[in-house]
Amino acid sequence: MTSEDGRFVVVFNGEIYNYPQLRAELETDGARFRTTSDTEALLHLYAHYGAEMVHRLRGMFAFAIWDQTRRGLFLARDPYGIKPLYTANDGWTFRFASQVKALLAGGNISRDPEPAGIVGFHLFGSVPEPFTLYRDIRALPAGHTQWVDNAGPREPKPFANLAEVLAKSAANPTPAAELPERVRAGVLDSVSAHLLSDVEVGIFLSAGVDSGAMLGVMRDAGQREIRAITLAFDEFKGTPEDEAPEAARVSAIYGARHIVRRLNAQEFFGDLPTILEAMDQPSIDGVNTWFIAKAAKEAGLKVALSGLGGDELFGGYASFRDLPHWRRWFGPFAAVPGLGFLFRKFIRAVAPNLAVARPKAVGLLELSGSWAGTYLLRRGLFLPHELPMFVDPEIAREGLRRLKPLNRLAATLMPDPRTDGGRVCVLESANYMRNQLLRDADWAGMAHSIEIRVPLVDFTLLATLAPAIALLKEGAGKAALAHAPTTPLPAAALIRAKTGFSVPTGAWMSMAAAKLWGATASLPQYKGLVSRRWSSVVINHIGLTDDPAKVHAA
Amino acid sequence: MKRLPRLLALVGDAFGGRGGIAQYNRDFLGALAKSGAVSSITVVPRIARGFFLLPEKIEQTPAHAARSVYALAALRTAFSRPFDLVFCGHVFMAPLAALIARLKGAKLIVQTHGIEAWPRPSRAQLMAVEAADLVLCVSRYTRSAVLNWAAIVPERVLVLSNTVRDIFTPGDGSALRAELGLQGKRVLLTVARLDSQDRYKGHDRVIAVLPQLVAQGHDVAYVVVGDGYDRARLEAAALRAVGAERVRFLGEVELQSLIKFYRMADLFVMPSTGEGFGIAFLEAMACGTRALGLNVAGAKDALADEQLGRAAPETELAATIARVLVEPKGDPGTLAAAVRARFGPETFATGVCNALNRLMETA
Repeated sequence: MTSEDGRFVVVFNGEIYNYPQLRAELETDGARFRTTSDTEALLHLYAHYGAEMVHRLRGMFAFAIWDQTRRGLFLARDPYGIKPLYTANDGWTFRFASQVKALLAGGNISRDPEPAGIVGFHLFGSVPEPFTLYRDIRALPAGHTQWVDNAGPREPKPFANLAEVLAKSAANPTPAAELPERVRAGVLDSVSAHLLSDVEVGIFLSAGVDSGAMLGVMRDAGQREIRAITLAFDEFKGTPEDEAPEAARVSAIYGARHIVRRLNAQEFFGDLPTILEAMDQPSIDGVNTWFIAKAAKEAGLKVALSGLGGDELFGGYASFRDLPHWRRWFGPFAAVPGLGFLFRKFIRAVAPNLAVARPKAVGLLELSGSWAGTYLLRRGLFLPHELPMFVDPEIAREGLRRLKPLNRLAATLMPDPRTDGGRVCVLESANYMRNQLLRDADWAGMAHSIEIRVPLVDFTLLATLAPAIALLKEGAGKAALAHAPTTPLPAAALIRAKTGFSVPTGAWMSMAAAKLWGATASLPQYKGLVSRRWSSVVINHIGLTDDPAKVHAA
Repeated sequence: MKRLPRLLALVGDAFGGRGGIAQYNRDFLGALAKSGAVSSITVVPRIARGFFLLPEKIEQTPAHAARSVYALAALRTAFSRPFDLVFCGHVFMAPLAALIARLKGAKLIVQTHGIEAWPRPSRAQLMAVEAADLVLCVSRYTRSAVLNWAAIVPERVLVLSNTVRDIFTPGDGSALRAELGLQGKRVLLTVARLDSQDRYKGHDRVIAVLPQLVAQGHDVAYVVVGDGYDRARLEAAALRAVGAERVRFLGEVELQSLIKFYRMADLFVMPSTGEGFGIAFLEAMACGTRALGLNVAGAKDALADEQLGRAAPETELAATIARVLVEPKGDPGTLAAAVRARFGPETFATGVCNALNRLMETA
């Protein structure tokens, strides 16, 4: 879209949720709108505020604005990194796109591998930004802007930082008594904002608290017709692991039309080639998002809310408990130079089976000395010392040198959020969620033309809740979320253990891995090992080199 | 007003030096001095011969070829006066330049050219380059090679293409052609060093296709300008291939003659596999003569992705030469103007200013 005077041209991927307010303000200041699109608001905002405009946006966005007068390009990406934005610069030509694949398809971009991206994928199960699998393609980091003109692209500049929001709030924590009201008001505000749409907004409903509470809040926000879609597995029918009955109960409470989409192994294997094809950068997850987005498309939906982000914001992951514990118990040992290394060698020597079955236990004393290390231990797919077993040793060495995984993780904690809960919240949000969950939601949703909206991944909501997050007691966050709707979620929803997506898709993934790459077909006892096998399927499919064994000896 | 920065340049050679890198250093430092963006430039060279003139704002210290003596001289100069910027003309000197920049609290610019910057350098050089505030590369290929081994923010690595001086202009080359006894022939010209380590330049490839071109009825002659230890071997090979009537090896020539050689040729051909950029392509085209190289490494930049010259795959060298020879020559003035617009001194000066402004932006 071009501005009326022809000076600015914008390309935009995403959604600006505070568009009505922005438009009203801009019109008061004299702007004349020609359309009813939020895209036009970006043009007026840029004309008015320049690069500072990004502070006024609430939403998920990746956009580029060409300034004909200054002969330069302004790029920006939302604070959480919900929308992707990739760039390629060969020194003469600057290119950008929402997908790595699109850039490659455009041609004239080197496919030389980026060791940091390959190593990052093996460490985390997704490719950590700003890297991709290709040296010449980079992500514009979340919460950054970039300026490009005839002097070339400038270094990306940060404009929003999750850690800073939490660090600032840590000084003035909210009293526990105020937590429920703050959560209720914050979530209602965010969900209301995310309902701004020309078309029907549906919801992905699991048996968990996050999506259930969101459905309730949708109702509070005044949404009348709501279709809620649940993914269920034939294998689980009649077992406690089946999410469908609980989701149906929640759906009934809030008067939504419930659609249960059943998935079986046959369909999983049938779609697998398409899934791997749709994946932009390799990821060990995203399969379930693929199927629920597929179900939403079948139902005729274009937009759906997802509870993604609830675990990061409300302390839902075990990491909120584990990380502080591990730091406390093992951190002092990790502080002794060389002890961790000796421990690893010792375990390998005396209990080689343990080293294989519980690879992370072996790294405990080496990594738990810092928050970054402990997080890597908790979330890591493989640990740095294991890389040479899976990746060409030269790629592993160079990749670690370029990626600097611990420095990079530590950098997400700058400035220090000052409380354990705040630190884990930031580590999870700025790493696992950003590089994996949000990327998966994007390619899996886009492949079905479904816009997945994530009201719990909202910078405004984070700012509202930050003073409360600092001191969240275990379980208190989810309890407050369950009580966010006027009619609270039933207590059963809170007690129910998180089923997650490991089984049966986990078993299927393991079978697929065995079939495609000849790994042992038996299902490993240790859940993490499924992901490890699956990772080889994914990265080998991406076909980075002609010789898959070079990247990943499966 | 902010004080203009003072620059210390550590170079192999610049003023009083020979060859492409010295020329680049003169172009770069000259453009910088002229731009008014720096208050002074102090050049510390390892080699400087004969008489030379220094542009305004530039001073040059005496040359010291021995490494340790050079390092001491550079340190002494660095601490004799204030500097805000250190320009390092060669990756080999990057550790010394990085040390000086660090001690002086100055910003570091590292310049890379061609093969010296392609393989992974020593650890000390690697760390020095990674510490640079700006890395300048003469081509996209060199930039890509640097980013392959250096863990550095890619935005700090810029392409600043070589430039071509104003004295290279089109003109009548018929007198020289007559002098060489090549009237009526289609003249292929290569200008390059002829040392055995320079075999990548591709004289052998041209010689190999000459018989084929003659057999196809092209009345070609091959003129080679440049000298080196490999000259006798190449000359013998060329004579064997097509005979004395079609071969001229002229050795090194003076600048004024060189321009005449470029003007006289029908096609400048240098099927090199190792060009950081290939400034001779620009010189030839600035003289209005068409140029042909391989679509390999920095040559692609000099030939501007085939917008100015031809960049052939190695296997199609003979066919491409044959095709160009039968195509209409085109207007030399138009080609020269296009080369100047793309790579001329004004464009280069803009690039130099942009690079420096970027460095000062982040101050």
